[in-house]
Amino acid sequence: MLASVLNIVLVASLVIHMVLMVVALRRLWRGENIVDRLLGADITTTLTIAVLVLLAVLNRNSLYLDVALGLAALGFVATVALAKYIADEQMF
Amino acid sequence: MQPWMVLVLWLVYLALSANFELRNVVLGLLIAGGITALVHPAPYRIEPQRVPAAVWAAVRYVFVVAKDVLEGGLQVARLTLDPKLPIHPAIIAIPSGTESEMATALSAHAITLSPGAMVMEIGDHGAMYTHTLDVTVPDEVYFEMQARRRDLLMEIASEP
Amino acid sequence: MESVFQLLAALAVVVGTTFSALGILGVLRMPDVYTRLHATGKIGVFGAVLLLVAAILVLPKGAGKGIVLIFFLLLAGPVTAHSLSSAAYRIGIPFAKPMRNDLAAVTETFDADEQAEPQRKA
Repeated sequence: MLASVLNIVLVASLVIHMVLMVVALRRLWRGENIVDRLLGADITTTLTIAVLVLLAVLNRNSLYLDVALGLAALGFVATVALAKYIADEQMF
Repeated sequence: MQPWMVLVLWLVYLALSANFELRNVVLGLLIAGGITALVHPAPYRIEPQRVPAAVWAAVRYVFVVAKDVLEGGLQVARLTLDPKLPIHPAIIAIPSGTESEMATALSAHAITLSPGAMVMEIGDHGAMYTHTLDVTVPDEVYFEMQARRRDLLMEIASEP
Repeated sequence: MESVFQLLAALAVVVGTTFSALGILGVLRMPDVYTRLHATGKIGVFGAVLLLVAAILVLPKGAGKGIVLIFFLLLAGPVTAHSLSSAAYRIGIPFAKPMRNDLAAVTETFDADEQAEPQRKA
């Protein structure tokens, strides 16, 4: 019985995360300035990590957590490198 | 410091692979040793008799930071839900109270981790220029929190 | 025992999703980039981490990965927020309303015409 409660909560949370990701993608598409768009990309990455974790719990499969780990590492480096590029107008 | 870095990398490898066969454990040790040999981390002297006190200080530091983060999160949630959006942003200077770069960096990390405060620049002598969401909180509150964190960090590094 | 863990996991998912939704609501309501960064901090620090706590409770095999991922998110989140706010200040994105600014007193303002020569602080 409790397993089905958890599954209902997980599916509801997945739907909510999809709605939130639409808002984040809109921020990326129609941001008011460049840092605002980068912020939208960063939120999208974080929400994708959250969705992957939800899928791991829903399918009872920890392989999704490996994908989330890789995405977290790539997204962090990408955001910091792009922020440095915006600030200094050079990559290194 | 070198054996400590091997130990940390080895534990991370074992946590990620979740496979405790002898073959995998030995492979993890080899990978951790190889990375440490390639990276050459800066040496750091650890005095064994001070380790228990440092670990105790680290545990207290985690709880202090967790309490600050929870309070900040709830405060920002309240501000966000308020229909009038009563935010008073400002940039205030918080002295880190230490010349150590590591302690300043960790203090800046703890401040930025808690929602509602965000370090924007670090100036001379560890002045941390912090963007806060609610400047009606007096500066002394932030100074007090910073002093508590600074004392714990100094205890961890065994520098009185 | 298993059912207790599943109940706790469901609670963690509910609270984490609430904080993520509050963070996005903050992004929609806040007036400028700097204040929006405060709101997005909640998504990384509370939203994703609480979902990972649920994953650790339900998936014993993924516990190690979950703990490593929590540590990574908590280490990387502040660095991202700092780099974004610092970049916004350096290219001179204005604040929504005038306010107390202790930073302006010590640094040359990063005006638009100074973009070619960004000030580097030691």
